[in-house]
Amino acid sequence: MNNLFQITGEYWQLMSRVFRKPEKWSIFRKQFWTESQKLILASLLLLFIVSASIGAVITIQTANNLESPFIPKYYVGVMARETLVLEFCSTMVALILAGKMGSSISSEIGSMRITEQIDAMEIMGVNSANYLILPKICAATIFSPLLMLTSFFIGLLGGGLLVAITGIITLAQYIEGLQFAFREWYIFYSMIKMAVFCFIITSIAAYFGYYAKGGSLGVGRSSTRAIVVTSTLILIFDLILTKLLL
Amino acid sequence: MIEVKGLHKEFDGKQVLSDINIKFSPGECSLIIGASGSGKTVLLKNLVGLYEPDQGDILYDGKIFTKMPLKEKKLFRREMGMLFQESALFDFATVQENVMFPMDFFTDWSFEQKLERVNFCLKRVNLENVNHLYPNQISGGMQKRVGIARAIAMNPKYLFCDEPNSGLDPTTSIVIDRLIQEITKEYQITTVINTHDMNSVMEIGDHIGFIHKGKLVWEGNNKEIMDSDCQPLNDFVFANNLARQLKKNK
Ligand SMILES: Nc1ncnc2c1ncn2[C@@H]1O[C@H](COP(=O)(O)OP(=O)(O)OP(=O)(O)O)[C@@H](O)[C@H]1O
Ligand SMILES: [Mg+2]
Repeated sequence: MNNLFQITGEYWQLMSRVFRKPEKWSIFRKQFWTESQKLILASLLLLFIVSASIGAVITIQTANNLESPFIPKYYVGVMARETLVLEFCSTMVALILAGKMGSSISSEIGSMRITEQIDAMEIMGVNSANYLILPKICAATIFSPLLMLTSFFIGLLGGGLLVAITGIITLAQYIEGLQFAFREWYIFYSMIKMAVFCFIITSIAAYFGYYAKGGSLGVGRSSTRAIVVTSTLILIFDLILTKLLL
Repeated sequence: MIEVKGLHKEFDGKQVLSDINIKFSPGECSLIIGASGSGKTVLLKNLVGLYEPDQGDILYDGKIFTKMPLKEKKLFRREMGMLFQESALFDFATVQENVMFPMDFFTDWSFEQKLERVNFCLKRVNLENVNHLYPNQISGGMQKRVGIARAIAMNPKYLFCDEPNSGLDPTTSIVIDRLIQEITKEYQITTVINTHDMNSVMEIGDHIGFIHKGKLVWEGNNKEIMDSDCQPLNDFVFANNLARQLKKNK
């Protein structure tokens, strides 16, 4: 319990150093674009594979389980859409990104900590927390709604592709289902969730990296802890945000 | 001028430094010597504020550095240069970008001006044609020299070097020692150097402090060090045959 208080205290202390005006906007801009590219390039392939296959799997599962003749066939499309937009494209994708983005951020910053690179910045009078962490948080939070949208479209495409190949239902029925009782707010809800999750992933992972100690073993330990903590927080915030927004 | 007053530092109940009192003057190379594990690095890190002393104060030109608010400390640090024991070069940046790093933050120079300064600093540490290599592509000794180039890039008023010539061959060692001494005198820098290299001690030791088991047990210069009657110091200085021979011949 004490540990929890200590971590929370240190986390806010770090965030108060992160959210400062950058020393120079030109440096911040450069870092921001580098981080954005890293983030998007690193997650795109994974996002494509996972989203497409989940879209296909949801479609196949729903179609196989819809035996009642009273439920129209296009319901398969509705189900695929709702599952993707409500939970998969934000929460599940965030959990996957927590592993990938979280571990890369915490080990990157952690290894800079143990090799004294962070100390070297501090000695120069550079706010290392602001320089290293702010661009990552901004990049992830700003571009995450885009990732969510990408995942959504790829997921639907995956479902569509499956329908087209197997002919479980007709493509027209699937598309009708996608449009049936469509609520735009769900998309925004999912985008907001994703932004919050990505903020959690980057800031928590950066925190664990920034306070890493104990050599390369310590870096490994802190990135594992970062993933455990972010995954838990993502699930908790999923509940909170769903309660608040829906 | 840097003054250390009654400095104590412990880690997890283990006393590492106790009651250190010492002054470092501008234009002088001050050497902290002592066996491995005696607390030299810890002392240096207390000086620059990477560690908080448990007791005691550190004064820079009369201002109490240890009690400064972080913001003021940050401004103050722009006048400090530090070479870390393991160099601590940024591995995301090339040699050139490493040396340019502080200039990017704290000057409004054009790229050409910065580059000129970078090349000047690299040349002073005998490094040429390595601008575009990354730290993991150069040898340990070269990393050390890049570290020195980065530390002097902004013309610091205070220069701290943690074992600047460990891992360097004797010739380069002397080049580095002379360089540090030269710029110290030229720009009246207050320079503090950790070392256990007796060559450096004899070469540039204007002012020497000997740390033994966390205590400052001897202070003097390179002329006095041979004739001291401090036992732990003599054990340290005359640890090897060559030094003992020299003493005998004297
Ligand atoms: N962060 C730390 N946590 C706990 N103990 C530490 C820490 N840093 C240093 N120490 C301890 O302080 C003592 C002095 O270490 P220090 O690094 O200052 O030695 P040194 O004189 O620089 O040695 P060397 O010449 O080998 O570099 C050692 O016993 C070390 O175990
Ligand atoms: Mg040391």
